[in-house]
Amino acid sequence: MTQYTSDHILSLVRPDQVHRDVYEDPDLFDLEMDRIFGQSWVYLGHESQVPKAGDFICSRIGRQPVVMSRHTDGEIYVVYNRCAHRGVKVVNEECGNTGRFMCMYHGWTYDTNGDLDFVTQSEGYPDFEFDKVENGMGRIARWDSHQGFVFANLSAEGPGLEDWLGENVDFLNDVAVSAPDGEIEVTGGVHRYLYHGNWKMQVENLIDMYHPAYSHESSSAGGGRQFSRREGDKGGIQFFEKRGKVKSMDDLGTHALPNGHSWQGGLPPVENTSEDHLEYVASLETKHGPEKTKEILIKKRHNVIFYPNMAMQELNPHIRVIRPVAVDRTEIFIYPVKLKGAPEKMFTDQLVNLNRTHSPTSLVQTDDVEAFARAQEGMLTSGNDWILLARKGPSEEFDSGRVRTTGTSEEGMRNQFRAWLKYMCSDVPI
Amino acid sequence: MNRKVELVFEELLFAKDIEAFLCHELELLDARRFDEWTDLFTEEGYYWAPATIDQEYPTSGVSLFFDDVPMLRTRFARLSHPRVHSQIPASRTSHMVSNIVVGKRDNHGIFQVTARFEMLEYRPGHAQRIFGGKYEYQLRVENAGELKIVLKKAVIINCDDVHLPIAIPF
Repeated sequence: MTQYTSDHILSLVRPDQVHRDVYEDPDLFDLEMDRIFGQSWVYLGHESQVPKAGDFICSRIGRQPVVMSRHTDGEIYVVYNRCAHRGVKVVNEECGNTGRFMCMYHGWTYDTNGDLDFVTQSEGYPDFEFDKVENGMGRIARWDSHQGFVFANLSAEGPGLEDWLGENVDFLNDVAVSAPDGEIEVTGGVHRYLYHGNWKMQVENLIDMYHPAYSHESSSAGGGRQFSRREGDKGGIQFFEKRGKVKSMDDLGTHALPNGHSWQGGLPPVENTSEDHLEYVASLETKHGPEKTKEILIKKRHNVIFYPNMAMQELNPHIRVIRPVAVDRTEIFIYPVKLKGAPEKMFTDQLVNLNRTHSPTSLVQTDDVEAFARAQEGMLTSGNDWILLARKGPSEEFDSGRVRTTGTSEEGMRNQFRAWLKYMCSDVPI
Repeated sequence: MNRKVELVFEELLFAKDIEAFLCHELELLDARRFDEWTDLFTEEGYYWAPATIDQEYPTSGVSLFFDDVPMLRTRFARLSHPRVHSQIPASRTSHMVSNIVVGKRDNHGIFQVTARFEMLEYRPGHAQRIFGGKYEYQLRVENAGELKIVLKKAVIINCDDVHLPIAIPF
């Protein structure tokens, strides 16, 4: 592996350009797995995916397999998916419920908090004292949750979860409060897709409101609008104005937060008079009154990015998890978010709409995937080493460190690369 | 011919009709005659490809495809758009069907038909893919004796895999 100095890494990121190596170099990818996914908080799953004692889901932090489980003490644990004996991955199902985890190789068993339970034929280790925790599967350094969203961190150093989330905390609260019961549930299955491109392309795309009319033109119809993405909505996102002129998304605004996070302003509200929507509004009004309900119904943000590996959307609410596999291979997982207490039909309509927008057969994101694969190929050319991220517009900075600027600004991406540098040159203060 | 033989003969003829219908249906997909393919569905018909192998209902979770007829038309209109980037160049497919089993007609005049299938898919510049699994059809004989699809369900054996884009129904 190439040994990169911080000076070299710093030279790859200019104020409004990045070197193509950051997308193409497998050694830099390895370094990202160590320094970004090994030091940042990373989204893992939602507590509602493991409601009962013994429930577990398998996931990854970067490339490292981990298990998130609900132990008999009612608490969530996150442990490495590795047998303490010979390194074999212990849990092989994606999710399930169990009393114990058992390693297939020599039958060692672990409690659902990862502690060592039983060593088979242990008399064969006369010189070895087994410690339940030390010789368990191994707890990762830290995990914490907000509104049930579980984030994990392989490093004991650095900010706590709430500090790291910053103003994204408000978004998680807003999502929860938009559920009549005040909490959400992740229960609608998962869309999985793959692309032959670098993981950062998806993260950048989610804060890119410059591309839709061009990349997704084929999903728009007469009147320049995309098909409606929510049951009962009177029309979808407007891409074009009269005579095919692209409608600028600048008015939406881009908000860049510390730690690489960002969001776009919410899409213009669309009237919805469906029975289920009205029932949903009524149940919010019962709980919060009409004024607060009006406020809840105005979506302040569209895509919200939790850098580096998660994004959420409030329109057909869902969680998108970005899993880097190799420098040119990325897997994406889309989990529908159920607003507890909302009419059941609203959720099933949401699932149907997500099939159209976020499945591998989607009418929308398939074109993003195509763009990522073509970017991965285009960047192999040596004629121009630099990727341009220079779009900007008037901006203002708030006390929290959040910068608000125009919707089609590439500030969100520049902001991601500022965080990227901070992690990647972690021995150098930036 | 005695009555029993006649019945068996009728059933055989019907099974042959069903087989011919399925071959025609799949040929329309491979020939990219998508509008005619959509016309094979009843007005309230659905095309469904579950995202898990044992998915009970189209709304018990997300699906790879779950399209009503208007959505199928939107989907295919997009495929003929001059800037449908993810399908330039377009995918070619070859569908094959086998192990066809024709069930009895139920009270609503609907026949259950099951079959096994394979779909080869090749988009120039990309690796050829094979999708395969089980079809479950609900077919109905309409007024003019024409067969129509009330539901076509296609369960591919790797429905819960991580997929590259899929443009053409199985």
